[in-house]
Amino acid sequence: MTDLTRRKMLGVAAAGAVTSLSTSAEAAAPATPPAASPLPNQDDLRAFVALSSVLTGIAVLKLAPTVDPIQVKNQYFDAAKADPAFPTLLQMVRSDPDPKNPVATATKVMNDPKLKFLGRSIILAWYLGAWYDPKNLETYNQPGDHPFPLNPVKVISGTAYTQGWTWRVAQAHPMGYSELRYGYWAEDPLKLDAYIA
Amino acid sequence: MCAARMPDPDVVIVGSGIAGALIAKVLATAGKRVLILEAGEQLPPDINGYMNRFLNATAKVPESPYPPELFDAKGLVDPSTVNAGRPTVLSLGARYRFGDWQDPKQAYLIQQGPLPFASTYERINGGTSRHWLGTSLRFLPSDFEMKTRFNRFVDWPIKYSHLEEWYGKAEHEIGVSADVADQSYLDIGFSSGYSYPMPKIVMSKVDAAVEAGLSGLKISAHGLDDVKWAVASTPAARNSQPYQNRRVCAGNTNCIPICPIQAKYDPSVTLADALRTGRVDIMYKTVASKVQVDESGRVSGIEWIRYQDEKGPPVERGSVTGNKKVYILAGNAIETPRLLLMSTSERTPEGVANRKDGKGFVGKYLMDHPLYLAWALAPKPVWGYRGPLSTAGIEICRDGKFRSDRGAFRIEIGNEGWNFALGDPHTTTVDFVNGINFSGLNGGKSDDPKRGEPKALFGSQLADTLNDKLARQFRLGFLIEQSPDAGNRVTVSDQFKDHLGLKRPQISYNLSEYTKQGLAAAKDTASAIFKNMGADEFTTKPNADDPSTFEWPQGSTERIKYYGAGHLVGTHRMGTSVNDSVVDDMQRSWDHKNLYLVGSGSFPTVATANPTLTLAALCLRTADDIVKNFPNL
Repeated sequence: MTDLTRRKMLGVAAAGAVTSLSTSAEAAAPATPPAASPLPNQDDLRAFVALSSVLTGIAVLKLAPTVDPIQVKNQYFDAAKADPAFPTLLQMVRSDPDPKNPVATATKVMNDPKLKFLGRSIILAWYLGAWYDPKNLETYNQPGDHPFPLNPVKVISGTAYTQGWTWRVAQAHPMGYSELRYGYWAEDPLKLDAYIA
Repeated sequence: MCAARMPDPDVVIVGSGIAGALIAKVLATAGKRVLILEAGEQLPPDINGYMNRFLNATAKVPESPYPPELFDAKGLVDPSTVNAGRPTVLSLGARYRFGDWQDPKQAYLIQQGPLPFASTYERINGGTSRHWLGTSLRFLPSDFEMKTRFNRFVDWPIKYSHLEEWYGKAEHEIGVSADVADQSYLDIGFSSGYSYPMPKIVMSKVDAAVEAGLSGLKISAHGLDDVKWAVASTPAARNSQPYQNRRVCAGNTNCIPICPIQAKYDPSVTLADALRTGRVDIMYKTVASKVQVDESGRVSGIEWIRYQDEKGPPVERGSVTGNKKVYILAGNAIETPRLLLMSTSERTPEGVANRKDGKGFVGKYLMDHPLYLAWALAPKPVWGYRGPLSTAGIEICRDGKFRSDRGAFRIEIGNEGWNFALGDPHTTTVDFVNGINFSGLNGGKSDDPKRGEPKALFGSQLADTLNDKLARQFRLGFLIEQSPDAGNRVTVSDQFKDHLGLKRPQISYNLSEYTKQGLAAAKDTASAIFKNMGADEFTTKPNADDPSTFEWPQGSTERIKYYGAGHLVGTHRMGTSVNDSVVDDMQRSWDHKNLYLVGSGSFPTVATANPTLTLAALCLRTADDIVKNFPNL
C-alpha cells in the first residue's frame, strides 16, 4: 500500500486537491510498490531528467516535481540503465557544458545511430509508462513487413502507467485513472501548457 | 475451503452473473432459499487486485483485470490446463500466428468457422457484467415482431407491452441514468409518470462534434433516405448521482474492462443484497458438470466439481439433488447450452432440454452484434480519452423498412479516441517517436499515393504533434442486427476438454447475407457521416488473413472487418411451443418443468440494443413468476 500513502501525502501537499486525489488513489493506486533497487546517483538522475525533458518536450518540474512523492523517474532511470548503451548516453549528458539545458546533447543523442533508439525508449517510458526494447524499435525502423502492434517488453509498473505523459499531451488522463469530477468531459480541457509546461 | 453449504435449498442457480444475481435477490427476498454454483472465484474484498492486473497488463483487453491468467511464460495459457477457462479477444488471430483463432492450445472456444465468433465472456463472480459498458437501451416494440412487421425470422412470444413494466423495474434495480423524453423514439413507450432513477449522463465534446456534423446529412442508399439523423444520449447503468451507496461517475474512460470506483453497476451490487437476506449461499470455484433428469422428466439434480487453484486438481465432486427444487441455468448463451449438451444420459441422449433426433434447438441460433468500427480525425479537437467510454449514439436507424432486406444498426459514439480501433494512444505515440506509421497519421494512409516518409520526432515538436492528432481522434461503432441462423450454433467438443475433463464449447459461425448487408450499410454510413463532418477517415483496410473479415462486395478484393460486441444471444430461444423453441416466454424449459434457462440466450432475435437491460427485465419477470407459482413448479 506504499503508493496509496504516497498519493495521500501528495494530496496533503497540494491542499485543495485533496479530495480528488484521494478519491482516485483509493480506487486506482497500485497496491504493490515497484521493486526496490539502490537509489541512483543524484547527479546522474538529474542529468537523466534534464535529458528526458528535452526529449519529451515536457518541463523538468512536471517530470520530476520538487516535491515528488511518486518518484517514477527512478523507475525509468533503472529501466534505461539496463541497456548496454546507457553509460555512453549518460556520459555524453554529464559532459554537457550546460547540463541543465542539454538541447545540443539531446540532438546529438537522437542523431547517433548507436544511441537514438535508447533515446526513443526513454521517451516512450515517460509517455507510456512501458519499456520498449531499443532493439525492437530499431528492427521496426527498418524497411519490411512488421507485425502490428509493436509491443513493449513490459509495463514498467502500474504507477508508471498512471503517470504516462501521452495522456496529458492529449489533454486527457490515463484510461482507468481520472482525477477529475463528474461531467468534466462536456467542457473544454485545460490548455496544453497547463499539462506539460 | 468452502462457505457453509446450504443443506436443502429451494432453488439452485448456476452462474452469478447479472441474470443469476437478479433472480437470486428476488427469490431470497420472497423467502426462498437459494444456492448458487459459481464457476469462478469469489470477489475479493476490494478491487485493488483487479485494478493492478489491469494497470500492469501489456494488453489491456476486456479480460485483462480478471482471473484466470491469460498469459504464462510461453504465451497464451493453454485452455486445457485451466479449470474454468473462457475466451479472450487475444485468440482471434490469423492462422499460425500469435493467438491463432483455431488453435485449441490458444483459444478456449473450439472454433469451427467458417468465420470466428468474436465475442468473449468472463467466468467469475458477477459474470461478464464485470466488464460491460453499462449501455441500457430498451428494445423497440418492432424488435419483438420481426416476422409480423418484416416477414423475417420469428416474433417473440411476448411484445414490448409485456416487458414495459419490467424494464422500469430493471432500470431501478441496476440504476440507469437517462431521460424519458430522450428515449421516447421509434415507439418506445413509458408508463405514465415514469422516470429513470437518475438524470441522463451529460454528453461529451465528441458527441457534440458528431451532432453538429450530422447537419444536412443525406444518405441515399441502404433504405436510409428518409432518416432524420440525430444524436441521442445513451441510457447507462452508470451513476449521474450517488445511487445505491455507489458514487458518481468520474469519467475514468474505463467502463470496459473495469470501473475503478464502481460508478458503473455490476452484479456484485445485487449479489450483496441477495447475500444480506441470509437465504443465499454461493459455492465458488464450483463448476456445474451435469444436469440430471428423472423418469418423470423433472430435473432431479446438478452434479458439480470444485477446484481450489485455477490450474490445480479438483478438490471435491458432489451434487445437489431433489426434483422438487427449481433449477435455473444462468451461465450465458455459450456456457448454458454447453452444460445442457454435456448432460447426456439414456433419458437425454442429445442433452437436457434438447429434443431427440436432431429436432432440438439447444445451442442453435447463436447471435452477436457483429460490430463495424470506423475511425477518423475531426477537423478540430474533440478531446477524446475523457468521460465514460460512450455517452451517446445515433439510434434513429435502429428501425425502418430496410429490415426486410438487411440488418439494422445503432451507432455508438466512442469517447476513447482510437483506443478500441488501434490501441491508441500507444500506437500513434510509438509511430511518432520511432518514425513508423501504423496509424496512418505519420506520413499518410496506406493507400495514399502521396504517402511520405514517417518522421521520428522528439521534444516540443513531438508533444505538439501528438496533441494535435490525439485530440482530434474519434470513432463510431455500429452494432449490427444479426440474423438468427440455425447453423450458427454451440455444440461440445468430444476432442478438446478443459482441465476438469469437461468438453469445451465448439462453435460454428457465419454471417448471412442479411447480416453482411447490414455491415456494408454501416461502412457506407460511417464514411458518409465522416465526410459530412469534414472529418478525415482513417479506418484501416483489413488484411486478407484477418479471420474476422469477409470479402465485400463479393468478387472484389475489398474486405469488411467485424468485431465482437460481447453480446451472446440466442442459444436457448423462447417461443410459442416445443416445436419452435427451447423455453417458453417465462424462460421455462418446455421439456423439464422445474428447469429455467435464463439470460440473453432466450432471445429469439437480437435486434440492435445492447442486450443486458432486456435480459435483466426478462429475469425479473421470470423471478416474479417463480415466486407466484412456487411450490407448484
